Amino acid sequence: MNVHTYEKLWLIAAMVLIVGFIATITYGSVGLGIAMVGDQQETVEPTELADDERFGEPRVEQIGDDEYEVYVVAQTFSFQPDPIEVPENSQVTFHVTARDVIHSFSLAGTNVNTMVIPGEVAEMTVEFDDPEVYGVVCNEYCGPDHHNMEGQVHVVPEDEFDLTEVSVDAPDEVDAGESATVDVTVENRMLDGLETTAELEIGGETSVEEVALEGGEATEVTFTVDPETLEADDSDVEWAVTVDDHEERGTVTVIDAGDEDGGDDGGETDE
Amino acid sequence: MGALLVVVAFTVPLFVELRTVLSWVGVELTVLESVALAAVAIAALLVWALWPESDGPDSSNAG
Amino acid sequence: MSNTYLDQFPAEAKVVRAAFYSSFFALAIGGLFGIVQTLHRTDVYRFMDSADYYTVLTAHGVLLAITFTIFFLVGVFTWAVTTSLDRGVENLRFTWAWYGLMVIGTAMAAIPIFAGFTDSIDMSASVLFTFYAPLQGHPLFYLGLVLFVVGTWLAGVDWFRSWRAWKAEHPDERIPLPTFMVLTTTIMWYIATLGVAAAILLFLLPWSLGLIESVNPLLTRTLFWFFGHPVVYFWLMPTYMMWYVMLPKFSGGKLFSDPLARVVFVLFLILSVPTGIHHQYLDPGIAEGFKFIAMTNTMFLLLPSLLTAFTVVASMEHGARQRGGTGYFGWLKALPWRDPVFTGMALAGLMFAAAGFSGMVNAGMNINYLVHNTFWVVGHFHLTVGTAVALTFMAVTYWFLPQITGKALWSRPVALVQVVLWFVGMTFMSNAMHRAGLLGVPRRTAEPQYEGVTFEAAVGSVGELNAQIALGGVILTISLVLFFANVIATGFNGRSDELPSNGYADALSGPEDAPLVLDNLKLWTAIAIVLVIFAYTFPLLSIVQRGGLFGPEVITFPVSLESLAPIAAALEYGGLATVDGVASAVTGALEPGRIAIAEVVR
Ligand code: HEM
Ligand SMILES: [Cu+2]
Ligand SMILES: [Cu+2]
Repeated sequence: MNVHTYEKLWLIAAMVLIVGFIATITYGSVGLGIAMVGDQQETVEPTELADDERFGEPRVEQIGDDEYEVYVVAQTFSFQPDPIEVPENSQVTFHVTARDVIHSFSLAGTNVNTMVIPGEVAEMTVEFDDPEVYGVVCNEYCGPDHHNMEGQVHVVPEDEFDLTEVSVDAPDEVDAGESATVDVTVENRMLDGLETTAELEIGGETSVEEVALEGGEATEVTFTVDPETLEADDSDVEWAVTVDDHEERGTVTVIDAGDEDGGDDGGETDE
Repeated sequence: MGALLVVVAFTVPLFVELRTVLSWVGVELTVLESVALAAVAIAALLVWALWPESDGPDSSNAG
Repeated sequence: MSNTYLDQFPAEAKVVRAAFYSSFFALAIGGLFGIVQTLHRTDVYRFMDSADYYTVLTAHGVLLAITFTIFFLVGVFTWAVTTSLDRGVENLRFTWAWYGLMVIGTAMAAIPIFAGFTDSIDMSASVLFTFYAPLQGHPLFYLGLVLFVVGTWLAGVDWFRSWRAWKAEHPDERIPLPTFMVLTTTIMWYIATLGVAAAILLFLLPWSLGLIESVNPLLTRTLFWFFGHPVVYFWLMPTYMMWYVMLPKFSGGKLFSDPLARVVFVLFLILSVPTGIHHQYLDPGIAEGFKFIAMTNTMFLLLPSLLTAFTVVASMEHGARQRGGTGYFGWLKALPWRDPVFTGMALAGLMFAAAGFSGMVNAGMNINYLVHNTFWVVGHFHLTVGTAVALTFMAVTYWFLPQITGKALWSRPVALVQVVLWFVGMTFMSNAMHRAGLLGVPRRTAEPQYEGVTFEAAVGSVGELNAQIALGGVILTISLVLFFANVIATGFNGRSDELPSNGYADALSGPEDAPLVLDNLKLWTAIAIVLVIFAYTFPLLSIVQRGGLFGPEVITFPVSLESLAPIAAALEYGGLATVDGVASAVTGALEPGRIAIAEVVR
């Protein structure tokens, strides 16, 4: 076969180009450490996500000083959790799975982008430097409302970030003249200790309790509310519990004992 | 004529991308400015190509 | 008296004509949907519900990527085999039979797609042309696809039969180049379609009929891409054939090298299939190593395209010099730029070079993160299939029409304007699509305008990009209208006696220079199969091992028009989850994490 000289040169140049491309990409993998989404993760049962250790509760978890893991569930047509909050200067590993059809989890304008396939778990480690809000889109068609599937990742300043969980157990009703107890559970899901306060505001009065927690610890703070505090103009008394920037609100209804079988109209006076 | 048409078509990608390239050196064009620039360039091209050559009437070389 | 294809093979010319007209019909409807989509997405003009967008997109994808391209190429291939072997088909009824099967298949697939537009028919297949499970289309859709593919298989049988019969009479001759190209492409297609046939026949069709409960979404997806990548070569190889055997003729010269053309097609045969996983770089469940292998194969697949670029340009230069062109670049002026066939094909080739660049970005496994499933990809394949292939097909139609109808083309100037407009329109549209993709704008999205997501452009704005896309779309639509005007008006012309003869370009360096081994189709087929086994056995085994042959239990997702149905399904599922235990995994919008943790503490 006679191959023209120019054609030979072209052939060689083409081979050099191709090998060059492969080398560049290999450098990206090995040198820069850009790993591909792979098969590191065990599969899951898409119909049993609720009971799954990893995905039962979509959440952010701290695993090291500046290292976090996020468990994300994509489903028609939303992401959980949303928004996802992580601190600046952190290394975050996302684990993403799908409850129903194939989706994607893609931070717009970045190279954080993966397919999300039911049964499989996409794992991707990302470094976030500065505080910023990233939009998350699903870029794989997943049904008629696909275009409404979006979420956000909030990268927040370190001092605004915590993994504190607050839940409040307060009665819905108390009998007039009785005191009420409000239990506040505070959990610190960070690895470091947490010193803060729990504050209950009810009927215009505020009480504060100190809370000190080791990493991973939870505690319960109990507030006892005097009957006088519950005496308001209205029988519905509002309360608010604040721990750092977490706030829970509710109302307690004070039931007048003498009113028990009274009519609905006009019975609710505060005598 | 055919060649001229193709050359004019070729200016389109050039001017579409010119804006980006100029922004690298700090020159920001608006869409309108890009369009104006392209129009001027194409007009100049047409004038140059269609200007009757002084010597001899038979000078068209476009295929 | 002219000596057109119609004069030489009147019966076959009718088949080719039928195939072309079917192809153009698909192009017309698909193109109409193209502009509807463009205006909807960019929010320039919306007249339909956004849920209907996906029905339109399914039709656009299937009609253009599958129907338009493949009907055209079976026509071209039939022309190529009969012309280059200089013999008619072996059995005309068989030929019409495969054509008929393809038509029936298309119609069957189209019915459920179009039924998606109306609520009154309980049928739909808005699953896009990739039909990823667990999205589920109507069984008729899958069945139609199968029949269509079987039709193409039989077409391949037809071409092989012609070659066998010819070979019996010409035992010592080299396979003529056009036939060689048809045969290698057909073998590639046989191997490639095994993937989609397995996906549909073993899994998707039984599942849509309710015979099996669920499927493994990653497995069917992988089988799809086993076929989905080589299918692009099924479009490109006839395009390359046109560039090799016709373009030199139109530029007034000869093909530079017949042996290298054979090498290129052999490379396509052996490398097209073991690359499909490059569409799955970002899929969980496939190991990085497999992705790397697919990438290496993909990069080497650049080689035949780069060689083609050389040969095409060299042949054009040869032609130009035959026409009296001189100088380093001066020869360019001597090319027949007034000829719409030549100009269209040359512009298509040029755009393909641009597509090559964006393709290399896509192919880079870790660069792919940046562009995967963004609008960039749509910009890329409107340069490849949407221009390199489609514009070549349209341009060469201007030569084929007189050959198969015996009538002169209605208007060459209109044809010239048409091909140039396509180039200009596609420049606008594709350029802005690429740019929007880099900002993260997703593809396949009816309203890429979000509440909580903004796309930040470094130069200009998203609004300007949208305007540019819409402008490009409108120009492309005008171009299409001119194309159809020409095709239809030509049909109304009377028969002409002064048409160019049928034929294709000779080669400067002919088949006698090609080593005999190049024509050993069995050898290349064997190598191709070995490479496929090498690239796919382990990934497929691993996928089946991980997810099971029929997958984990999945929630079947029939795609119907009412957006309520799937949402209801999701909610129902949410309800189930609650019953399952963790009372807090309520669903959707709430913030389950918080409440759930609190409960665990108690
Ligand atoms: C008038 C000309 C055309 C216009 C205006 C147009 C427009 C579009 C647009 C805007 C999309 C993206 C939709 C989205 O991702 O949301 C699209 C997708 C697509 N187009 Fe075109 N197009 C045209 C011609 C073509 C041609 C000629 C072909 C192929 C031969 C083609 C093949 C495709 C394919 C395969 C898709 C992807 C479908 C999918 O994602 O499922 N288009 N087109
Ligand atoms: Cu989606
Ligand atoms: Cu591909």
